[in-house]
Amino acid sequence: MTQTQHTTEPAPQETPQAFSPRITAFVCNWCTYAGADLAGTSRLQYPPQMRIVKLPCTGRIDPLFVLKAFEAGCDGVLVSGCHPGDCHYTSGNYHARRRWAVFGRLLSFTGIDERRLRFSWVSAAEGRKFADLVAEFTEQLRQAGPFGPHNPARRQP
Amino acid sequence: MSDALHTLAAELLTAGRAKMVLGLRRREGGLVPAFVTNPARADALEPPTGVEANLAAYLNKPAIRKQFPVAIVVDRPALRSLLVLASEHQLPEASVTALLVDAGQCVGAMDLAEAAAWLAEHGPALIEPDPALEARRAELAAMSSQQRAEFWRQQFARCTRCYACRAACPSCYCTQCIVERNTPQWISPSARGHGNYAWNLIRAFHLAGRCSACGSCQRACPQGIPLMLLNAEALAVVQEEFVYAAGTAADAEPFIGTWNEDDAGEFIR
Repeated sequence: MTQTQHTTEPAPQETPQAFSPRITAFVCNWCTYAGADLAGTSRLQYPPQMRIVKLPCTGRIDPLFVLKAFEAGCDGVLVSGCHPGDCHYTSGNYHARRRWAVFGRLLSFTGIDERRLRFSWVSAAEGRKFADLVAEFTEQLRQAGPFGPHNPARRQP
Repeated sequence: MSDALHTLAAELLTAGRAKMVLGLRRREGGLVPAFVTNPARADALEPPTGVEANLAAYLNKPAIRKQFPVAIVVDRPALRSLLVLASEHQLPEASVTALLVDAGQCVGAMDLAEAAAWLAEHGPALIEPDPALEARRAELAAMSSQQRAEFWRQQFARCTRCYACRAACPSCYCTQCIVERNTPQWISPSARGHGNYAWNLIRAFHLAGRCSACGSCQRACPQGIPLMLLNAEALAVVQEEFVYAAGTAADAEPFIGTWNEDDAGEFIR
């Protein structure tokens, strides 16, 4: 077994101590992305194992995106956007809130641990909240452990 | 017992208020869909007993739509399906007359506004959850998420992706279903783990606030997958957290697509 495996990102370690969960974040352009930007420009430290997908609005986040992320083998998905009343498009986040309420429950009911999906409102001014959120969510996923074998949505080879 | 149903159906056909009556007739001990165009044949119609296919699904079929205006024999869940279709602008004005049967008794022939008024008067406004399903749902809720994943893995493993559930459902009428989109492909069409999981989950999600809990999908499933359990979970959120019932009026606002400032949002921190 001398063959080397080439992957773009190192696979997470299986031991709980060293396990760094892979997170996909779907965020809105106007609030959370700006909040993440603020966290960066403020030089706030937060765990680096997250990949951000920027979308115009939380209303654009189709539940299928979340499902795809789990299908691709993510350990956790973060969905975040503007606080209620602050939507750049007036009501995108209100539409999203209803959708997530149902979708989150269905995911949990079919066996995706509630700890693996996190919803949050983060405004453009909340750089600190964003950094704390990522740290907290990463820790939560570390506790939950690698999703791989238990993930019902995971793509089979 | 169903004399009133026969008389009303024959009258509607004779008067030209309906070109066809969609109902049920007896064949080999069971009830099968009947498409009556001749008033003299209206006496073959039988009242639904709650275990047949939801006839409202036929209203999405081009061959039936050509026959509009039609009359359709409905029980309460099928009536709700009619109202969902109407509220989603799928039924042209005055294209459908409901021949309402409740508890085996023919209530009368009504247009959709009258039928909605009858439903409001003879409530409950919300769809009553099936006690057996609720017990099963509570059992699952008490499990760990890994056990639930395992339970559904076993259920979905039997899915052959025949889409009988979709065909049986009056609310599944998209000309191109999300599962058939391939650029990009959102849901794998092959009958294997992740595709089956995604399909069954998204099917239930797309019916949130639109499902009348008629159970037609589950009865249509040749593999015996408990689809109504999934629908019941979505129904519980929609009804308990949002106090929204599907199919209350022909001009009702949809559940997904509308919002309220004080919608439940404690899960978003």
